Amino acid sequence: MLRVFTITIAVLIAIVALTAVAIVVVRVIRQVGQRKRAALAAGPRRQLLAFVADNGESGGAELVAIPDDAWRAAEPGALGLLGKLRGEAHLALVSVFLRRGAARAALRDLRSRSRVRRARAAQVLGDLELRQAVPELCRLLTDRYAEVRIVAVRALGRIGDPAAAWRLIASLDQAEPVPSLLATHTLVQLGPETEVTLIAALDHPQARVRAVCLDALGLLGAAGSVQRVARLLREERVLDVRVAAAVNLGRLGTRSAAEPLIDAVDPARPAVLRAAAARALGDLGAPTAVPALMRLLGDDEFRVAHEAAHALRRLGRAGLDALREVVAEERADAGDQGAHARPSSRAAHAEEALALAAITAEPELVGAR
Amino acid sequence: MSTILLVEDDPDIRELVAYKLTRGGFEVIEAADGLAALQAARQCPPHAVILDVGLPRLSGIEVCRQLRAAPATAAVPILMLTGDIRPHELEQAYAAGATDYLVKPFSPRELQRRVEAALVGVGG
Repeated sequence: MLRVFTITIAVLIAIVALTAVAIVVVRVIRQVGQRKRAALAAGPRRQLLAFVADNGESGGAELVAIPDDAWRAAEPGALGLLGKLRGEAHLALVSVFLRRGAARAALRDLRSRSRVRRARAAQVLGDLELRQAVPELCRLLTDRYAEVRIVAVRALGRIGDPAAAWRLIASLDQAEPVPSLLATHTLVQLGPETEVTLIAALDHPQARVRAVCLDALGLLGAAGSVQRVARLLREERVLDVRVAAAVNLGRLGTRSAAEPLIDAVDPARPAVLRAAAARALGDLGAPTAVPALMRLLGDDEFRVAHEAAHALRRLGRAGLDALREVVAEERADAGDQGAHARPSSRAAHAEEALALAAITAEPELVGAR
Repeated sequence: MSTILLVEDDPDIRELVAYKLTRGGFEVIEAADGLAALQAARQCPPHAVILDVGLPRLSGIEVCRQLRAAPATAAVPILMLTGDIRPHELEQAYAAGATDYLVKPFSPRELQRRVEAALVGVGG
């Protein structure tokens, strides 16, 4: 019995010792490998930095001639650098990557079975700003894995080809779409040429898609879309989309946006829409909105009255004069009723907006009486 | 020779900018976080500072504020490097005392020109 126990203990000790030795050996091999790669990468890295710092004016041929093993060691750092540069330095580095066949390899990897390789390839193609890769990157918009789809969307934004807009919009209509904010940001990166596509997508059956396209149109300042966005503000069934229409009419900033927004602050409309439209009227800066915003100061919904007061403040002189008028009327009424009169919420909102104007607005506006 | 304090936590960008400025005839002091930057500025007040907004330990905005509060660096040009052009962030940077800003990704040549322009502005 004792012998069996001794043998068991000896075997266990041997296993532990062998495991420890194996761990140490693996770590040493890994460290040696890392050092070897770092030493191999050091030369090309110096060449790369010098090349980029000189905006690629010299040293390109030497970088292309670097042996494959040394380039492989330096490539992760070079790829990292690619995303951090713009201008001639970026173009010069891209040309080195293209001459070394990085684009070909990345295009091939977009069809790899490994999702990590697909995502990495999409990022490389985005950093290279390679327009030829757009159709293949669009294919990744329906990849099984969300991480791959997100990297593909970012890459398309970096490339900035408006041809990708429709595929990106279509990809939002799937079970697990990319975040709305990322989609909006990317559509904006695709540029003003996407305006026609975005306007057409306002008829999309999915409310989320319509809202994303509205935000992109507003951020792009697509003035040609005002009439269509105004129609959506009037006729849309989904409240969130109507609110997005109001917000973006304010961003579009054209005179023709004022009328539909004034219509949207009508007391018959939902409070959340009235508040958004009031705020948008302030963004628009249209003095014609003063009477409508003045009426909203007495709104029963705190948020609506609050937004109206601050919209008046942002309108400048006309709005500030209107706010002062409200405060003056209130003080006159209080004088008639004696010291016990409580200020109305209308006057309280106006006073709060005027107080903020005194801190932030231009002195000649605040001082105007 | 003008001394530039370069504060950037990304080693690639730090190395690249340091290389570019050294080649351009500047002496470059490097720091990888906000506290190290303040310490370096106290030990050797620079002629200009290149300051990343998103830094570990102490944000670029706070470093900028503290540099402006110290008499030795109160008038030194501070060029902020930012990863984004959020109006709020820029407002904060200018309120803290930044002289200029550059958005990442950036062109190394443009960065050097901005530094040179800032130094001319203060007679450096």
